[in-house]
Amino acid sequence: MRDDLRLDGVGRRYGLRGPWILRGVDLAIRPGTLTRVEGANGTGKSTLLRLLARVDAPTEGRVTGRPRTAYVPERFPAALPFTAVGYLTHLGAVHGLSRPAAARAAGEWLERFGAAAYAATPMTALSKGSSQKVAVAQALLAAPELLVLDEAWTGLDAGTRAELERAVAERIAGGGAVVFVDHDPHRLAGAPDTTYTVRDGALERRTAQDSPTPSGPHVLVEAQGPPDGRLPVAGHPGVTSAEEIVPGTHRLAVRASHSDVVLRVLLTARPPWHVARVSADPVDADARRAAHGSGPDRPGHDQESPR
Amino acid sequence: MTALIRYQAALLVRSQRWLPPFILYAAFLAVGVQSGQPVLDSVGYAAAALLPVAAWLVRICVGGEPPAARTCVAAAAGPARAHLACLFVALAAAVVLGTAATVVVTLISDPAGTDHRTRVPMLQAGGAGLLAALVCALLGTAVGAVTNRPVLRSTGRAVPVMLLAALLSMVTTGSPAQAAVSGLVTGSRTGRVPLPLLPLAGAAVLAAVAIAASCALTARRSP
Repeated sequence: MRDDLRLDGVGRRYGLRGPWILRGVDLAIRPGTLTRVEGANGTGKSTLLRLLARVDAPTEGRVTGRPRTAYVPERFPAALPFTAVGYLTHLGAVHGLSRPAAARAAGEWLERFGAAAYAATPMTALSKGSSQKVAVAQALLAAPELLVLDEAWTGLDAGTRAELERAVAERIAGGGAVVFVDHDPHRLAGAPDTTYTVRDGALERRTAQDSPTPSGPHVLVEAQGPPDGRLPVAGHPGVTSAEEIVPGTHRLAVRASHSDVVLRVLLTARPPWHVARVSADPVDADARRAAHGSGPDRPGHDQESPR
Repeated sequence: MTALIRYQAALLVRSQRWLPPFILYAAFLAVGVQSGQPVLDSVGYAAAALLPVAAWLVRICVGGEPPAARTCVAAAAGPARAHLACLFVALAAAVVLGTAATVVVTLISDPAGTDHRTRVPMLQAGGAGLLAALVCALLGTAVGAVTNRPVLRSTGRAVPVMLLAALLSMVTTGSPAQAAVSGLVTGSRTGRVPLPLLPLAGAAVLAAVAIAASCALTARRSP
């Protein structure tokens, strides 16, 4: 993203005399950040996302910056006369890839989301969840500078939901910006750099105290670095805690969605770190939350609650 | 832009929604054009009938995509460019149809004036017919652009207004399409093949203005 995407005093209403959906919105999206937008139904979250994706022009105020953008709608219609891979190849080309590169990326992303079997299926024959996978794949094909997700997780199965969280973490690690709306408060919990709430047509920045403590599944990583080496992932949004258990060996608690990204940073550091051990976190997320003090209660104490 | 046009063209071709206007146009020509008729009259008729077909093709192209899919494309390429690609594909389809019809009509017609005695050069008559068809395709695209999404969004309003506008732009004195077609009809009577360059320029300007206005409006109206 060459420059930030900025909204200055932006307002939007539909029609000449329609009510203001949003008014006086100031917002900047910086590269490499994750932004969450919250709000009750019908408060204008989707309108805000449409303004950020620049598919809607503001009625007043100014939007500046034009990153390469991809958008995922909450419901993706299957009424398109293409096969899944045919549609994705067209969209990849629209996103700026060459056709061979677009076809390759289409195959890869369908495979990542477990939809490779539907690649040659006409879009009209896809189930709701499978067409949502196509919508998500479409957005990730060309590694966009800005990814806008409007309840993109709706209708996806558990495996694909986790895969999409990982893809979001990768996109941010790759320098892209991601803005998302989701009604599940645990979606990418703790990872967003900024959380905004849309209320009465205005945007409120959530303060740190309101943010839920990091929760959700974690992975333990033990890594060995050079003596006196600085941990290359210190302060990384995916790393919840880090301790030096013996000199030169660190044990990290890493958000499951960010484990691949963190491992990649460790392995590609200069000099590279040695990953000695990766294991599931025996300390349950609930226990961590208890250790951190307060946090939203979740049903199902010992097992991970269904999302 | 190439990728966008390719996507929109594939959408039009594969959706098969181009079939009804194409069939209607063919039926219209089959009724109105017979072999051995004066060539300039026949190509004029073919051009005139193309105008509402071009407007209809615009309606198909700008409404062919489900809104969510349209938003995905608009985010990637910009809403104005996405809309421009729709209009371009509709215009191209109308031009292809008009060209094919004019060539066939020219070949089966009598290269003579209305009196069947004055000789009319076939190649020039065909050329004049192609220019008139282009005028009608451009004007039809202009009509379609300002009478469909994003300008008029409800079908109940868009379709009658579009058909009425197409009819009026065909018969109103001063309209480029009317000028081009009546030029052909007059030429058939006098035996002189007209060159409708002025109507072509007028139609091009009108189409450019209509397309620019509709593209500029697409991000401003509700989805």
